[in-house]
Amino acid sequence: MKRVLGTLIALLGIATSVCAQADVPILSGALAFNSSTTGGATTFQPTLAPVLVAPIGDHWLFEGRAQLLGFFFQQNGTSGPYNGQFFATLDYAQIDYIANPHLTITVGRFLTPFNIYNERFSAVWIANLQDAPVIFPIGTRTSASSNGGMLRGVVIERPNWLLNYTAYFSALQTTENLQAGRAAGGRIGMFLPKAGIEIGASYQRFLQNRNYNVAGTYFAWQPPQIPLDVRAEYAHSLGGQGYWLEGAMRIAKSRGTTTWLGRLQTVARVQQFFKGTPTPQDLLPSADVNQFDFGLNYYLPHDVRLNGSYGRQYSSAGNANIWNVQIAYRFLFPAWPGEHK
Amino acid sequence: MNTRLTILFLTLLLACSIRVLAQSQSSAPTTKTSNSAVHKKVKTNDGEQRFQANCGRCHTPPEAISPREVKAVLQHMRVRAMLSAEDEQLILKYLAP
Repeated sequence: MKRVLGTLIALLGIATSVCAQADVPILSGALAFNSSTTGGATTFQPTLAPVLVAPIGDHWLFEGRAQLLGFFFQQNGTSGPYNGQFFATLDYAQIDYIANPHLTITVGRFLTPFNIYNERFSAVWIANLQDAPVIFPIGTRTSASSNGGMLRGVVIERPNWLLNYTAYFSALQTTENLQAGRAAGGRIGMFLPKAGIEIGASYQRFLQNRNYNVAGTYFAWQPPQIPLDVRAEYAHSLGGQGYWLEGAMRIAKSRGTTTWLGRLQTVARVQQFFKGTPTPQDLLPSADVNQFDFGLNYYLPHDVRLNGSYGRQYSSAGNANIWNVQIAYRFLFPAWPGEHK
Repeated sequence: MNTRLTILFLTLLLACSIRVLAQSQSSAPTTKTSNSAVHKKVKTNDGEQRFQANCGRCHTPPEAISPREVKAVLQHMRVRAMLSAEDEQLILKYLAP
């Protein structure tokens, strides 16, 4: 934990010294408190997830996100006094060189770009449902972060469609809080802005212990006319395969509506997982899983969000009810004070 | 039970899709004009649309972004959302006109 905090403070200091006033770094992220009850066992998780973004000129950028997590649970699972511990993780700390829209070169620690959930929907202030999909460990095995290099950008841009790519390599790292697996992979995606449709595919070769291939595909649809978000992913690995499909809709005519009812969002997700060949530490369930989740999110003023969800998991390892309640506050401000221009 | 829940979810999804199609067919086309003020507004709307199409794909926008924060936010999104050059310029004009 000290190492993580030390790294962040040191990087902030470097960024502070080299940045001009015009390139003010920002401190963003979220403060959240989550209560979860799975199969009768209740846990509480306070979370602080700060994000530091420091532009250095027009082409260089430092980005970092850490998570300070608390985990409080009952000593005997469903009874007894609560025990807890805090720990820290470094999700990413990367230097980006933005050569042009077609090429950005990234080195450091970055979120593994397998499908889209990990990079785009896993943040505590973004996820519509607090529990990650069952297939989440496929392609993001170990820590969901990679240590190495990445290339990404737009291949072709047309008014009606856009093709983008990502390619990366990660080295094995076992240091606490900085874990990463040895892997290489890539992703290609197509975005149709007028229809609000996005499709893509991912591939990864996991290059340690027992080498194997991981593949996935994703779909997202956000119709411009109504505040509906549809997202889905499929992933396949040696340890198993599965999919999730999520729909979220604001009770309003448009996304920007701020009436009391327009701030409400309903969410539903179905997912299935089919167990494959058990592989050590693949973080996947030990048996097939079918799960349904339903949730309500309420977007309060000042970037505060309340959400609650109920899920039912069916598995030969045991069925369970899953309840989640969370309050999250998203913050965004300059990393140091100054006058508004 | 699982199958029923899946069918219920897919039915809801289908209902939403039908509503989208119905709305898109009933919406009136935008009237074009050479008036410069209106043209500027259209450009602003372009920026808003690009903001929604790119940033709104993943999250709701923060309630406020100060001009001092715009560059960092935009560069962050440029890497994360792989914005095209045109998207970046339009969103920049929308956030910091």
